Amino acid sequence: MSEELNGRIKSVIDTSPVALFMKGTPQFVMCGNSERALQALRHAGAPVTAVDILPDPAIRQELATLSGWPTIPQVFINGELVGGADITEELAETGELERKLEDALGSDYREFAAERVVSVLVPA
Amino acid sequence: MVTGELEQLLRQAFPEAGTVRVTDRTGGGDHFLVEVTSPRFDGLPLLEQHKLVNAALAGPFAAGTIHEMRIKTRGTS
Repeated sequence: MSEELNGRIKSVIDTSPVALFMKGTPQFVMCGNSERALQALRHAGAPVTAVDILPDPAIRQELATLSGWPTIPQVFINGELVGGADITEELAETGELERKLEDALGSDYREFAAERVVSVLVPA
Repeated sequence: MVTGELEQLLRQAFPEAGTVRVTDRTGGGDHFLVEVTSPRFDGLPLLEQHKLVNAALAGPFAAGTIHEMRIKTRGTS
């Protein structure tokens, strides 16, 4: 089970231009820090693939092991950990987040700025 | 957890730091703002800077005494 979960988390990280592991969903955010990270990404016009970590505590554990980052939210661009809410917010304020997105996704990344939610749990 | 204990852990991890300040954001002893200014951060990516701070406070984190922590790191150059 945990190996499968690990694989699905990895796959979201590796295949999403921008992955956001958060508490809740972009439509219903359950934590102030997840909200801060989401707003910073929105402000930068990022295409966000969101994963709600709340449905199963195992998601958070596997993610922390995988990324080496202890807290939620976690933002990845092209498979690379950017950081949590503080870093994402700070990078957005300095304009570096947009530079990172352009470098990783191309200068026209804003055209694909849709938000989607994916699950890493096995469908029941 | 009181802010003094966290500052002590940070001082041990960053003996060279100019500023080490921990603020209890809510007064509940579990939501903190951590500020560290150190020459060790010069030229280091933000992610690596925050990783160093997280590592210094891994103990109280694992123990669950820190629920939420905001980090502000600065180099000196």
